[in-house]
Amino acid sequence: MTAVPGAAPKKPSQLQDVWPLSPLQQGLFFHARYADASADVYTAQAVVELRGALDTGALKAAAATLLRRHANLRAAFRQRKEGTPVQVIVREVRTPWEEIDLTAHPDAETEADRLAGRERARPFDLAKPPLLRFVLLRLADDRHRLIFTNHHILLDGWSTPILQTELFALYLTKGDDSGLPRVTPYKNHLAWLAKQDREAAEAAWRDALAGIEEPTFVAPGAPEPPEGAEPGRVRRELDPELTRALAGRARAHNVTLNTVLQLAWGVLLGRLTGRGDVTFGAAVSGRPADLPGVEQMIGLFINTLPVRVTASPQDTIAQALTDLQGRQADLLPHHHLGLADIQRLSGIGTLFDTMTVLENYPFDPEAAGAELGGLTLHGVGGYDASHYPLALAAVPGERLSLRLDHRLDLFSADQAERIMDRLERVLRAVAHEPDVPLGRIDVLSDDERRQLLEGWQGEPVGRVPETIIARFAALAEADPDREALRTPDGGITYGELNRRANQLAHLLRARGVERETRVAMLLERSADVVVATLGILKAGGAYAPIHHSYPADRITWAVAEVGAPVLLVDQAMLHRVTDLDIDAELIVIDRSADLAASPDTDPGVAVHPEQLAYVMFTSGSTGQPKGAMLTHQNVVDLATDPAMRSGAHDRVLVHSPHAFDASTYELWVPLLAGGTSVVAPPGRVDAAEIERLVKDCDVTGLFITTALFNLVAEERPEAFAGLREVLTGGESGSVAAMRKVLAACPDTALGHVYGPTESTTYATHADMRTALANPDETTPVLGRPMGGMRLYVLDEALRPVPSGVTGEAYIAGSGTGRGYLHRPALTAERWVADPFGPPSARMYRTGDLMRRREDGVLEYVDRADFQVKIRGFRIELGEIEAALTGLDGVAHAAVLVHRDGDVKRLVAYVVPSAGTPVDAPALRAAVARRLPDHMVPSAIVALDALPLGPTGKLDRRALPVPDLAGAAAGRAPETADEKTLCAVFADVLGLDEVGADVSFFDLGGDSVTALRLVGRARQAGVELTPRDVFTHQTVEKIVRRASADADIGLEPLLPIRPIGGTATKPPLFFVHPAGGLAWGYLQFQAHLPADQPVYGLQSRVFTGAEPAADVASLAADYVELIRTVRPHGPYHLAGWSLGGLIAYEMACLLQAQGEEIGMLALIDSYYGQDLGSAERDVLPEVLGAIGMDPEAVAPGGEPDVPKIMELLAARADVLSTLGEDDLVRVFHAYQAGIRQAETYEPGAYRGDLLYFTALRDRPADAPAPAEHWGAVMTGRVAEHPVDAGHHALMEPGPVAVMGPVLASELDKQHANLTNPQAGRIAR
Amino acid sequence: MTNPFDDPEGTFLVLRNDEGQYSLWPSFAEVPAGWTIAKAADGRAACVEFIETNWTDMRPNGLVEAMGG
Repeated sequence: MTAVPGAAPKKPSQLQDVWPLSPLQQGLFFHARYADASADVYTAQAVVELRGALDTGALKAAAATLLRRHANLRAAFRQRKEGTPVQVIVREVRTPWEEIDLTAHPDAETEADRLAGRERARPFDLAKPPLLRFVLLRLADDRHRLIFTNHHILLDGWSTPILQTELFALYLTKGDDSGLPRVTPYKNHLAWLAKQDREAAEAAWRDALAGIEEPTFVAPGAPEPPEGAEPGRVRRELDPELTRALAGRARAHNVTLNTVLQLAWGVLLGRLTGRGDVTFGAAVSGRPADLPGVEQMIGLFINTLPVRVTASPQDTIAQALTDLQGRQADLLPHHHLGLADIQRLSGIGTLFDTMTVLENYPFDPEAAGAELGGLTLHGVGGYDASHYPLALAAVPGERLSLRLDHRLDLFSADQAERIMDRLERVLRAVAHEPDVPLGRIDVLSDDERRQLLEGWQGEPVGRVPETIIARFAALAEADPDREALRTPDGGITYGELNRRANQLAHLLRARGVERETRVAMLLERSADVVVATLGILKAGGAYAPIHHSYPADRITWAVAEVGAPVLLVDQAMLHRVTDLDIDAELIVIDRSADLAASPDTDPGVAVHPEQLAYVMFTSGSTGQPKGAMLTHQNVVDLATDPAMRSGAHDRVLVHSPHAFDASTYELWVPLLAGGTSVVAPPGRVDAAEIERLVKDCDVTGLFITTALFNLVAEERPEAFAGLREVLTGGESGSVAAMRKVLAACPDTALGHVYGPTESTTYATHADMRTALANPDETTPVLGRPMGGMRLYVLDEALRPVPSGVTGEAYIAGSGTGRGYLHRPALTAERWVADPFGPPSARMYRTGDLMRRREDGVLEYVDRADFQVKIRGFRIELGEIEAALTGLDGVAHAAVLVHRDGDVKRLVAYVVPSAGTPVDAPALRAAVARRLPDHMVPSAIVALDALPLGPTGKLDRRALPVPDLAGAAAGRAPETADEKTLCAVFADVLGLDEVGADVSFFDLGGDSVTALRLVGRARQAGVELTPRDVFTHQTVEKIVRRASADADIGLEPLLPIRPIGGTATKPPLFFVHPAGGLAWGYLQFQAHLPADQPVYGLQSRVFTGAEPAADVASLAADYVELIRTVRPHGPYHLAGWSLGGLIAYEMACLLQAQGEEIGMLALIDSYYGQDLGSAERDVLPEVLGAIGMDPEAVAPGGEPDVPKIMELLAARADVLSTLGEDDLVRVFHAYQAGIRQAETYEPGAYRGDLLYFTALRDRPADAPAPAEHWGAVMTGRVAEHPVDAGHHALMEPGPVAVMGPVLASELDKQHANLTNPQAGRIAR
Repeated sequence: MTNPFDDPEGTFLVLRNDEGQYSLWPSFAEVPAGWTIAKAADGRAACVEFIETNWTDMRPNGLVEAMGG
């Protein structure tokens, strides 16, 4: 065959063979189908420059021969209805060849680049072979450039040089391949794959990936790459010394250079993601050493496999190299498993978003140039894009050459350069410091490190040790008439407050309170709270406020826990404690006669700045609250912080519960600076009350929790207008609410504060008016550490993470508390040695995940120990909340995860802006436009207000469980298919009913439940693929979906080699045997001449029909069918087993209709035999007929269908593409076929018969074919014995015997047609 | 992300500073300045127990001295 460029055959779909896909091809196939991008990132390109005189015709001929030699280059990729992809090998294809003359072009070089780009941008249609193109550019008479572009699914980077070598070998012979070695077909690889032990491979990978908790993403939640976007590239050549050192390191530890690179990437990845257990992809050649000829094969072998680097920080580089190499070597025999399968085994789904490849392709174009008749080849470049956010390619050489491809929408060139810098630092460490623990490899430059640890910390503040009471006493003495407290009942001066506190202190001393003694207190908000607090401190003790929300038991517990000899209450709270069983003495502060009688002079207790000031309970993960201990110095440090001393916090509103650490700010920031605490009336204040207090009492500053702030921002943002600064924090804030307040209060500053109780209320402060001056800002940033404080963002090995990388926040410096009361071990776990501060310093580990921006500003990310995960993604609920509050009409939003069996649903609760009705579907659609699909809430619930807990924080547990029934309602199903599928939808989603027009994904479906849906639907008899679910989403649309490729290979008239092109002779029709499929006949093509059209007749059960009643009705049907392609005779008919009987009946029928029969060939067919159809167990036969061991898959006659499917899937032949349902149809067709054969009574055929007899395993009572058939027909029976059993007749050996006989008979027939007088068959 | 201090399988040291304060410390990390090893590398549970037993007064040494013991 020679290809004729430009002259496409009329029927390009000439079927030569149908193959399954290799696992990797399947991955690419699905990815290419899902990613509907116009420029497919799986387009690869190789460009070779040809210098010297070029014989263009010879090169074109070589290209055509290449396509002829390699069947897999002529593959089209299609999908059957049930989802199985197949590669359809067509007999011949046009060679896609284009020649462009650029000799006259003014800027040929640029134009050449443009053309290469154009070729890359032109997508391939997977259904239209070949998936490759040649473009030859003529740059000058003696300078050409060949651009070879192909879809990655055809061949990999390792194949390109092999292909080029072969192309230029064929160029020398002008396309004649008679001297070339035979091609090892890609099909051999598929066969090799089928022989691999899948179970062992799965076990090995499951093992290798065990314990991975989450994917390693450098760009979590990244959207699909923009259409047609090509990645950015950063290149780096290592110097020869480092290159040699790396090679030496590899040699020294007996590992490969690839392992060295992978370890380096793994270490770097750990630093980029802040994790110790990382996974990334690595390209492997995928060419198994035990497949003969594999090194010269062309095709897709390369696989991307997960590499997991779990090295602990204490492992040395040397150990880590050896470990990694060992684990990689163990997986070597299991490289054949596809990535999708491996990821499924991990239970995580997508495992990584970065990859590495060591490009050691065995081709050197310059070296290949010498023998090409004066023509020399020069590599110009190639293009092999990936869709990964980061992909590292390394090319060995004297200077190891590194290339970092990065998605430009995710990483700027600068960022990629910095990543490359870090990689180089890791590589230097690996090369030179084998004994250094991995944890000590530094990826940061000295400057970066200094910036992170020192530059971006709180301002140094010159402080002297000081106590709360000394500072207060000094103020009281200096100006006793200054207003200390403003209460609803009036003002209290510093002098009076001091005197009253002194009285209490004397009383407490008398009741046994000493230095460091904790005194419990439970008081309603009033001036007495301040008196009590200060009095306890003056006595040398520490105050321990008890939460008002505590039930009785817990109050008892708390009093005992702090070891308080005294419990201070007021009359309002007395009833809460009167019946409690506590040892502490009760002092009722507002009616104690003893107190009134106490002296009001200073008790003169010597208090040290490091003494305890208070103990505050915080909730503990183990159930019991823990008491955080804070000192006088901690409080003084907060009160004297520059951010607190701006003048804005001179008159502060006291409205937070005393047991909440905001009270530290509310009391001590004003009172330690000569300011005033404005004490709100008891109870919780609302927006209106705040506004009133601010106005009436001239409040200058207040703190308000995030949830309450959002509420006020919504209801009356102007409530803060009189303030100089409003502070808010506690949860991730809402930028929308902040903007609203800033707009309504133009003269008020807005401080976003963050800090755990353990580090004294506030650790960071951000001025949001400045931060939100940028209209694009969408994050409520945390800003910078406050004065004298340090905040480190550290990774799992306690190293500072680079900017942009998430790590855990540790707080050191001022404000760092003493520890947890009575919990030395818990304290030693949370307040830990500070490696970056002054000697002996400690840092508090917050459990909060943060990152620093490029300018050092801190962002809150999540709780380290309260992660929300859906489908393996760590979801930042705050991001969803921010997206919702960013929408018009949404005032507040909270998002959480509801779990319902296996189904996890993200539920959003929204509070609409005043006067706006909530349109939940519209909101959801709007959010879906801003967020990746796994972050889009399944349900949106409208609330009047978000429920707040006692401390003003959002009470997540009080959010109602959503009712999805309403959302699930819709149009009732109508057809049977709709009813079935609606029931399956409801089942999978755990709902009672689902409407036919409701989207699966609106009801909480995700990619995992979609898979379950496909399985259940199949059990219910409805075939669909995950893709159907994703594209069509509703039952209605899925049922209606187009099914263009539905029945490929299962069509009743299988076009094995259809009429057209060169196939012009009267076709040969093969009729299916009992199983109903004609696939076994595909292989006869190889033995029949190219001009012989061939069709197969297949049972209609595969396209939905019931099995036919008898042979006669089958024959009548098939005669109609063949007349659609061959209206009149002569007809050539053949059939195996039952197929022979049907062919015989067709021949009789056609003769009765006046048509001429050319050849009639029966392959071991007998009529009227008692085949025992009633009692016969056909299962083993069917299994035997498709080459399976019946005992293995159907013990005791009970078919284990999943097992059969599994074995089928592991086979390389065409049957492995059969779906489970079709397998069942084969059984049914087979059963029906035996019945049909038993009852068939042949008529009288007039003519000769070609007959193939199976000699082996022949039943003793089998009739002799010549007599058996001679009895009913009139012609001669030409018998050809075949040394095989009946069921083995379609194996390659017997086919090779029968094929030439058929060819020779057809040849005779065709000769007769051209010379009708010669040898006319008698009738 | 697993915090190194929470790793139940990890190997830890117990460190003590000159204020008599204790810190659990993962053995892979360098011992920060001002701290000495109070207990050599051991499992987490053993280290926790050591701290519970030995850190009986959580006041820093400077304060203990100032308060007269």
